[in-house]
Amino acid sequence: MNQTITEKILSNSVGHRVNVGDLIFPIPELVTIHDWYVANMDKALEEFGVSQLFMPENIVFVTDHEPVAVSPAAAERQKKVREIASKYKIEHFFDVGRGGHGHIFPVELGMIRPGMFVEGYDTHVTNFGAVGCLAFAVLTEVSELVALGSVWQIVPETVRIDVTGKLPKGVTIRDAAQKLLRVLDPEVIDDTVVEFGGDAISSLSIDARFTLCNTPTEIGARSSIVEPDQRVVDYLAPRTGHRINLLKSDERAKYKHRITFNLSDCEPQVAAPPRPDNVVEISVVAGTPIDHAYIGSCASGLLDDLEVAANILNKRTLHPRVRLFITPGTQEIFQQALERGFIEVFIKAGAVVTQPGCGVCAGGRVGPVAPGEISIGTGTRNDPGRLGSMDADLYIAGPSVVAASATMGVITDPRFLGDPK
Amino acid sequence: MKANFNEIFEGQAFVLGNNVANDGDLMALSFALARETDPDVLKAHIFAGIDRSLALRIKPNDIVIAGKRFGHGNPHIQGFLGLRGAGIGLLTESIPSSSYRLAINAGVPILPSCPNICSLAQTGDHLRVDFNTGEIKNLTTGAKARHAPPPAHVQKIIASGGWHQMFRIRLEASGLG
Repeated sequence: MNQTITEKILSNSVGHRVNVGDLIFPIPELVTIHDWYVANMDKALEEFGVSQLFMPENIVFVTDHEPVAVSPAAAERQKKVREIASKYKIEHFFDVGRGGHGHIFPVELGMIRPGMFVEGYDTHVTNFGAVGCLAFAVLTEVSELVALGSVWQIVPETVRIDVTGKLPKGVTIRDAAQKLLRVLDPEVIDDTVVEFGGDAISSLSIDARFTLCNTPTEIGARSSIVEPDQRVVDYLAPRTGHRINLLKSDERAKYKHRITFNLSDCEPQVAAPPRPDNVVEISVVAGTPIDHAYIGSCASGLLDDLEVAANILNKRTLHPRVRLFITPGTQEIFQQALERGFIEVFIKAGAVVTQPGCGVCAGGRVGPVAPGEISIGTGTRNDPGRLGSMDADLYIAGPSVVAASATMGVITDPRFLGDPK
Repeated sequence: MKANFNEIFEGQAFVLGNNVANDGDLMALSFALARETDPDVLKAHIFAGIDRSLALRIKPNDIVIAGKRFGHGNPHIQGFLGLRGAGIGLLTESIPSSSYRLAINAGVPILPSCPNICSLAQTGDHLRVDFNTGEIKNLTTGAKARHAPPPAHVQKIIASGGWHQMFRIRLEASGLG
């Protein structure tokens, strides 16, 4: 034995024991493809003369990058996606207003389970590690994947992070995830699977686990996975008819690197322009004026994140200069936020609540920034142009920092926010 | 495009430093945004962000030697298609996995993990590299090194000319093509 979760999942997928470095063709149980790539995929398939897909019943189309078409070109693209879904007999097609963010709702719907192997067209498909599923991004080769059922993968090494402690008040799991981007060495993380385990995992919600699994890809991780536990069983049991198998790493599994990460030592973190791994303690950038703010994305558009934001925005209003866009990750999250009164808080504060999906983070197709503006948000990346203009400064932070900053008009440490007026 | 991969390259070394970025250093982002994918167009623009004269001086069969994290950044394939068009071989001390996959898909002969390779040669030295066995010889100084070549299947992809060609081969083998 002595295998990591990753080695076990890939061994199960190909039907024999695999070792780190082996080149294999694992067949994923599910393939997700988003609305901005479906037409490109179809074009490539036509070029290669492919008219039938390998197991179309395992392919999921998600309209999350641009659910609300705000241009004739976008409406045409959506029409094309519908035609392509019909042409290839894609049963799992989540069109406008149906699922929401494709890195979140398949978990809510019980389509993703511990021990599964999944591939998808997007680097943040790693989110599925939240429930112990191994997910790899496949980009250009996604046409080959849907045509033939697999693409080559080399069995990756694993870096183990033993999570301990408890987040201090005013600090969110996104702050912890951003801090990891600062403390981990990209040379060590590159092409590995980051495996989260340890004493503190059982205290972390499924929402928090999504966030932890979302960010390591920014420094080159192939994927991320949380060792599944009883909380995953409790979450998934009402959502799936399938048996839930809690696959864990063996005690003597071999890791490339192993560290302990103490949540108690975390403070609010901010990624300054121009990259998501350019992470600093909030004190370095506190006081920077902002114009634009965003709460949402596959990293931080979960119900936990909206609750953090609502707690801060309750009985407060936005700074007059700031506009704040809030995007619940999925239809289900939107509904729960509505039932728990968060949406009312956001509206009263002066925020704009958008259709579930990627929101502003997908290239700023809704609520973009203008040249010269400064934005702080919970999106995944802050490369120039990510939220619209190439000439805007983009900061990334957790929902508490973003909400506090939106009310104050400057980057603000939420721990030092006074009482509402 | 016809495969032009010859396992043994003999040519001039061009030694670059660490952290040559994909967007900007290796290839201007504008080519990615324009979705330009013709290696013959892109070869004229390689390394324009470092030194515009490099694209003119680098000839087919030359060897580009790079330090750590070659081609880091967003996974755009245009720079690697440019290297393919230029007909060069690539030795890197390290390369992020996403960029390594781009090099393979573009059909660029590569030895991805060659620690201290930058100290083996200077720009202008004459080199012989066998991308099949991983053997490297500096014909100017006599220095030698050997580093692990990519797995056999990856070598087949590169030898076939890259992802497009290998996808077609797999399709034909499956009876779908």
